[in-house]
Amino acid sequence: MSTQQDILRRVQSVFAQVFKDPDISISETTAAKDIPEWDSLNHTILLAAVEDHFGIKFALKEVMRFKNVGDMCVVIERKISG
Amino acid sequence: MNGATFVESVQRSGLEHASATAFFIRDRAYSYGELLARVALIRERLETELPASANVGIVTFDDIDTYAGIVATWFAGKTMVPVSSSHPADRTLSVLDQADIQVCLCSGDIPRGLEGASRTRFIRIADDAPAVVPRPPHIPSGSDTAYILFTSGTTGKPKGVPISHGALDSFLRAFFAFDFGFTAADRFLQMFDPTFDFSIMSYCVPLSIGASVYTVPNEGIKYAQIYRMLEEHRLTCAPMVPSILAHLRPYFGEIDLPDVRASVFCGEALYDDLVTEWLRCTPNSRLINFYGPTEATVFCTAYECERSSPRKTLNGIVCIGRPMQGTQITIVDEDRRPVPQGTLGELCLAGPQLTAGYFNNPPANDAAFFVLDGTRYYRSGDLCQTDPDGDLYYCGRVDQQIKIQGYRVELSEIEHHVRQLTGIKHVAAATSQDDGGNTIIHLFLEQFAGSIPDLLASLRTKVPAYMIPARVASLPALPLNNNGKIDRPALARLAARPPEQ
Repeated sequence: MSTQQDILRRVQSVFAQVFKDPDISISETTAAKDIPEWDSLNHTILLAAVEDHFGIKFALKEVMRFKNVGDMCVVIERKISG
Repeated sequence: MNGATFVESVQRSGLEHASATAFFIRDRAYSYGELLARVALIRERLETELPASANVGIVTFDDIDTYAGIVATWFAGKTMVPVSSSHPADRTLSVLDQADIQVCLCSGDIPRGLEGASRTRFIRIADDAPAVVPRPPHIPSGSDTAYILFTSGTTGKPKGVPISHGALDSFLRAFFAFDFGFTAADRFLQMFDPTFDFSIMSYCVPLSIGASVYTVPNEGIKYAQIYRMLEEHRLTCAPMVPSILAHLRPYFGEIDLPDVRASVFCGEALYDDLVTEWLRCTPNSRLINFYGPTEATVFCTAYECERSSPRKTLNGIVCIGRPMQGTQITIVDEDRRPVPQGTLGELCLAGPQLTAGYFNNPPANDAAFFVLDGTRYYRSGDLCQTDPDGDLYYCGRVDQQIKIQGYRVELSEIEHHVRQLTGIKHVAAATSQDDGGNTIIHLFLEQFAGSIPDLLASLRTKVPAYMIPARVASLPALPLNNNGKIDRPALARLAARPPEQ
């Protein structure tokens, strides 16, 4: 499994926990509009959960450019490898 | 404004600042000249299709024709009734029906479920429609209705609040009395759906002085988009609901917005510690906490938060200050008698910003309006008290209404729809605050055996997304008080407990 696939799998497990849906399926193109519960409040919870899971901290300049899950994964990969 | 009506001010902005940016939407600037060209086209179509005094529906999108449609409706002397493209069809159909909308401007796809609206035709003006010569606007009388906004109603049916041009102009004058020194060079944030009345301030103030309106895209995560707009476009006036600050809080250390010179808050409790931190992020900004219901045109009391001196607060929440220019207030007890200074009571509002009354709704009007010593007052439903200086403090609601991201939500409206969907009689919604100070809706049902995701999916077809409960629990029986009524304080305590893992 590539690093990117591994990150996506781990991000999916965080989504499953935050959105209380063990069967949730996400891809790199999944965006807020695809998940009805993904509002500003859950976004805050989601980011905090992702940060906890990977032991990283996002900067606002990164967060404001997240358009989908893929954008988030790119930043995660950079942070955990750096 | 200079004593002119709003429509005259917009017309003048168009003439004096034709090449300046009126709107910046989805990475594209639209000049005042372009705006008024679209206004002229839409206006001509409205005047051809509709009798003089008709209400015009507008399905709201993040695009220039939504705003041009609003201005065109006013230039044509008609009443604007915005409906959100993201609200459930049932709710929108109720609004179209109540306001007798025959023509609804719709610059995007007709939202699913609205095709069936029997009396309403949806009109879209082609992007390449041949230009028509702009004409001076119809000058409204003060009593002509500018817009009708629909708010959450306790019986599941939204209530229409008509606001006159006189009330709108009074609001704008009262706002400009704060002397922010705005000019045509200012850049305003517009983060609200036009069905929410804080949007009226966010676009009418700049349009009346030839300044620019920067809209926040609907997609993505709002607070992140808001920060991006503020920073990338160096916006100077930021009207926001306080919950945006709660979302941005983890990043305050990274935020530096020296161009913001007016931070304008309304719609929810504003926490004093967030004010202190936000003023650090915006070193050159004045910050005013406004308060007011839709019935009194956007907002009608204000408290300016000083940078240094201790601010007036109650339980960590910034006070809502004093009435704005023209507004009168009184605080009354349950028998509508004014209470002594310092005593808790219901805040009542009067003055030129007040609505003439709910649209075609005598029972709601009888309950909400009354005359005291010759002055007509609106009962806000908000519990307030004043200090010896006359500054007002918000202390809660007299009923089950709450605020989510600034939107008014009647918990009883949610309960009504859940009862209808499930057939369960004992249903109650309650709220709690999360760590960030955000309000969360909890739904409790008695002996609900069905699927919670299915229930929420059905509820989404009835109420807007901000009214969907974040937590749902089935209880063997709802707690009742000694009078046999649902024990709401007990449910609130239940809601405040951390969720079971």
